[in-house]
Amino acid sequence: MSAVLSNNAPRALAVPTAGEIAGEKKMLLAFWVTGFLALAVGIAIGALQSTNYAGIDLYPYLQPFLKSYYQGLTMHGVLNAYVFTFFTISGWLMYLPARELKLKPNMGLAWFTYALMLLGTLMAAYGMFDNSSSVLYTMYAPLKGSAWFYLGVTLVVVASILPLIVVLEMRARWKRANPGQLTPLVTYMSATTLLMWLLAALGAGTEAVFLLDPWSLGLTNTIDPLLARTLFWWTGHPIVYYWLMPGYVSIYALLPRQAGGKLISDPLARLAFLLLFVFSLPVGTHHQYTDPGISPVMKGIVTALTLSVAIPSLITAFTIALSLEYAGRRRGGTGLMGWWGKLPWKDPSVAAQVLALVAFIFGGAGGIVNASWQLDNVVHNTLWIPAHFHLTVGMMTTLVFMGVSFWLLPHITGRKLYSRKIALTGVWLWFIGLMTWGLAGHWAGMDGVPRRAWVSALPHDQYMQLYGAVHPALILVGIGGAIATLGAILYYIVFFGTLFGKKEAGAMVEIPFTEYITPAQGSALARVAEPLGLWTLITFIITLAVYIPVFWPMLMNPIHAPGFVLW
Amino acid sequence: MTTSTPDAFEDQFHHVALRHERVWVFIAVALIAVLFLVAVWFVVHDYGLVAKTTQFYSNPNTPSQLAEFQGSGVKQTGPNSYDVYEIGRAWSWTPGTATPLTLPVGAHVTFYVTSGDVLHGFEVQGTSINLTAIPGVVGHVSYTFDKPGTFYIVCNEYCGAGHQAMIGKIIITGAKQS
Repeated sequence: MSAVLSNNAPRALAVPTAGEIAGEKKMLLAFWVTGFLALAVGIAIGALQSTNYAGIDLYPYLQPFLKSYYQGLTMHGVLNAYVFTFFTISGWLMYLPARELKLKPNMGLAWFTYALMLLGTLMAAYGMFDNSSSVLYTMYAPLKGSAWFYLGVTLVVVASILPLIVVLEMRARWKRANPGQLTPLVTYMSATTLLMWLLAALGAGTEAVFLLDPWSLGLTNTIDPLLARTLFWWTGHPIVYYWLMPGYVSIYALLPRQAGGKLISDPLARLAFLLLFVFSLPVGTHHQYTDPGISPVMKGIVTALTLSVAIPSLITAFTIALSLEYAGRRRGGTGLMGWWGKLPWKDPSVAAQVLALVAFIFGGAGGIVNASWQLDNVVHNTLWIPAHFHLTVGMMTTLVFMGVSFWLLPHITGRKLYSRKIALTGVWLWFIGLMTWGLAGHWAGMDGVPRRAWVSALPHDQYMQLYGAVHPALILVGIGGAIATLGAILYYIVFFGTLFGKKEAGAMVEIPFTEYITPAQGSALARVAEPLGLWTLITFIITLAVYIPVFWPMLMNPIHAPGFVLW
Repeated sequence: MTTSTPDAFEDQFHHVALRHERVWVFIAVALIAVLFLVAVWFVVHDYGLVAKTTQFYSNPNTPSQLAEFQGSGVKQTGPNSYDVYEIGRAWSWTPGTATPLTLPVGAHVTFYVTSGDVLHGFEVQGTSINLTAIPGVVGHVSYTFDKPGTFYIVCNEYCGAGHQAMIGKIIITGAKQS
């Protein structure tokens, strides 16, 4: 990718010398290395899970490290969906705005965020490794894990809010120095993502602090399982946008330049982020279409709002495809699709991100089905659902961040990318593997194969009796998982090879901030999107308007359920 | 190759892009509106399958003490229609696991579902029946079994070490009952 930058890309922006921002780079490196270490463990366990669906039970050989599929699944979910994402996203969304605005972030708060998140992770890890909290990452009460686990997760969530303060403080400083100017795009996107996450985290935060934590500490004896899971899903839907939007930051603001072009429209990027913010918050109840205790009228309203989230994603598909087309034509592509082949496919960073976009088309289409209320009945809690989110978060967050790391690690460390070829092979294997498992998982889910089930522990004839009709799909799930794991192994060879590789002059590439064809200046749309405080308030009011009628019957009919430890 | 100042190619590309952009946003909004209408049509058409609230009850430990859940849990309500009162417990369905639920083809069944311990998922494989079993709440859905055969009740909400084996059976017999 350095070749692409030096030969084809627009002239470099002024790059601060390594010394000036060495502290920030060290901070970002700490966040990313910790996040990717967690992901490595998570992926290793994930390989066991896809094997499980193929009917092969490896867990008896893993004593005493893993006592069951469910203990492993809890770790897989928590490490990949919380620890990996929270660490990488927190570092990423503090560092990029700092570089864009050329301001020093509050480093004390950044490191405090890191320390708190690490402490929370270690506490939760302790609760998972001793098998006292095999409650899965959704932690549905009244299954009851240990206080270590719930308190640890609480700290991780609290820590993940703090980068918002760092970013808003930088934005305010910049605005004071540049009165009347619009917030630069990357800072705008980062602040929007983190404000969205602030409102999102209120749900699970309330669940943790007022229900799970006191209950696990013995301060309360019972818990309301319906209220707890409704609060969980307040967060549980927007969290997927908290995972995706940092990937979109790269896709919108960096990838066009990496591909040799420009972003078509800055205002449209702002509009997409703003719509994601507004529509992702009030829709969590669509994860509860099959729950009693929630009025069908509310489910209908949530269906309409959820489908609306597709609009910013469709805008993204358009803007990004057009930006890539522009890059491809600049690079000599002709005809209807000639630009596609002319993209810099040999650059692993670009390949990873473009492949993630391809996968996201399938992920998005599946998401429309999940959103469609009645259609969701067919696929709810089947293998369809994890297949869906491996094509979305497993691509748009994980694969995009893998791609980002191919320039980011050299950028931070001044060490050369270990091997472009291995990186590229790893990216393709990850893509092919997850696509295989994803498409096969959708297929198996349609035939009612449940998600999160230790099906390989069933007697073989019962496994075949229940799921034999889609046995080929389940075997493909296993094969896909194995291919993706192979891709991950290659990825980590490059990851560590780069971290411990040799320093090289010129390895420290600059951040590929893109240029725009339509800038924000003079755009009425960008002006309307600018007051983020107002938009946060509007979103909060809409969210409350949807959630108050959802919570009302639950508050009028509290359930006092005792806890159970059943694993 | 690329320059950072606009040139003729960029101007032309930009001009076309603006027009396509407006068309695309219109298509996106129209597409979503149509999808919403289709989704609502399915709901109206198959309203029986929408998860509905029957009642909340005070002691989540003892759903079996609720009047309707006494006995076999199966009550005939019409010529070929039934109410089935279903309790999920780690790790069985009653009725379903110890004794299969046997009904004639064409049976119109309303399932009233709850849980006696943790969350369970009441999924009937091969149908669109999918309802969360929550202690402290009874929910219901209805469905007509048009084809004979064996249907499995698969628990699809994690409920502990035996979750994968929490399977029940519904047998729909070929003979129509009058």
